[in-house]
Amino acid sequence: MSAASVRRLIVIGLIALWEILPRMGFIPELFLPSLSSTLAAGWNEAGEYAHALAVTLYEVAISMAFACGGGILLGAVVGSLPRPRILIMPMVSSLYAVPLVILYPVFTVWLGIGSESKIAFASIYGFLPTMLATAAGIQTIDPQLLLAARSMGATLSQRLVRVIIPAAIPTVLSGLRVGGALVIVGVVVSEMLISSAGIGYLISRYRTILDSPHVFAGVLLVLAMAVAFNAAIKWIEGKAAIWQTGTRAGQSAEEIAPAALQPAT
Amino acid sequence: MQPLANIAPLKPAGAIEVRNVGQVFKTTTQDVVALDNVSLDVKPGRFVVLVGPSGCGKSTLLMMMAGLRQQTSGTITISGAPIPEPDPNRVGVVFQEASLFPWLTAEENVEFPLALRGISKNDRRARAQEALKLVGLDGFGKRHPHELSGGMKQRVSIARGLVQDPPVLLMDEPFAALDEQTRMTMGDELLRIWAATGKTVVFVTHSLTEAVYLADEVIVMSPRPGRIVDHLQVPLPRPRTYEMLSGDAFGSLRDRIWRHIRKSA
Repeated sequence: MSAASVRRLIVIGLIALWEILPRMGFIPELFLPSLSSTLAAGWNEAGEYAHALAVTLYEVAISMAFACGGGILLGAVVGSLPRPRILIMPMVSSLYAVPLVILYPVFTVWLGIGSESKIAFASIYGFLPTMLATAAGIQTIDPQLLLAARSMGATLSQRLVRVIIPAAIPTVLSGLRVGGALVIVGVVVSEMLISSAGIGYLISRYRTILDSPHVFAGVLLVLAMAVAFNAAIKWIEGKAAIWQTGTRAGQSAEEIAPAALQPAT
Repeated sequence: MQPLANIAPLKPAGAIEVRNVGQVFKTTTQDVVALDNVSLDVKPGRFVVLVGPSGCGKSTLLMMMAGLRQQTSGTITISGAPIPEPDPNRVGVVFQEASLFPWLTAEENVEFPLALRGISKNDRRARAQEALKLVGLDGFGKRHPHELSGGMKQRVSIARGLVQDPPVLLMDEPFAALDEQTRMTMGDELLRIWAATGKTVVFVTHSLTEAVYLADEVIVMSPRPGRIVDHLQVPLPRPRTYEMLSGDAFGSLRDRIWRHIRKSA
């Protein structure tokens, strides 16, 4: 049996256990409601969940745009110019050691408990790894490629568009994978802490009234969101697979990035 | 694009003139003399090999002929005109690592210098096909570099250097990264291409055998500071054959170069 089918079997087995164990009474429904009662709870309150999902997705989308756009832009500047690098990198590194979640209460004071404070927090949360990956991607471009382009008469802007950007894409993508995942974490966590809408808020509210099936329905939705995001990134990476050797770090960036770029939570 | 007629060639196309060229690298502690008073004439259509130990400035000299680096003193002219910046219409360059863009196919790589000049897609494709045919890669145009062997990559690289039909081809240790067998085959291939096109070739290598096997003339250089210590004519007939490698004429030329290099290394 192939590894993939074994993996599939394990997932199916876990799902089956999720249904069977609570039903047989091995696990109290309060700790783990069965899959069917979780789905039923979600279905009964479909309107409420749909609204919460819309709020969360909206916050995630805006935060992604900020985190990824800003991260790529600043990463490109920091990666290609030594002066800003010397100024900014030490600050970014020390910022990395700070558990950024302590900033969130401050953001709620500044921006209120609506979407703005979630977006601010999640944007900053996802911004750092994206920026660092982009900077690394640009710094590790094979100088030989740039020399070759120059020997063919490429101007500075032609080198940027035709060499630097395509060569940096694999590392930037691996940064986006980490940054994007952290944006989802940031939004959901901040909704759970202080808020009035969103999936995180629903989970947190149902938890306080010990309504486990509704809590797990929210958890399922977050899970689905993360899986969908992962699939989307995989798809883009597949499209860009031939670029994987564009930088010297290209081949290894994929493995290094998630571990090396994970900030303190 | 400058037609050759406009640069008023005092010398015929393909002639290279190096006059009293010096190159000094300034470091914070001291000035390093990389090249000291180097003079050299290459007649059109000749195959000239620069050989010498590491640090003798042979690659530096080649980069200056390519317009990728400016000399500290002296003059270099290609086809009668100085070369203040890279000009692929006059000089094609082939590097040690094939330095192909991994995100482009073989033919797109060959088209790259043409694309920089805004030449139409059809024109580009036709000229790339022609160049790929010349290097024996007919039918491999749609492959990406990672789908090609080391020797094939170097052929693509040569095709890219030749696609604008420059009278001069500069090669910086192009076969250094290849295994012995591929290296021998590529040497023969290069001689075939050279005979078919009548280009002036300046070829940098570490290998004495390769130097004597390929060259009309061998320029031997010594380091600290980089100087020309010998300039040999290779009287072996063309086409060169594998049997010549074990002949007396070949051996004595090789020995003469080795004595220079042993003295300076």
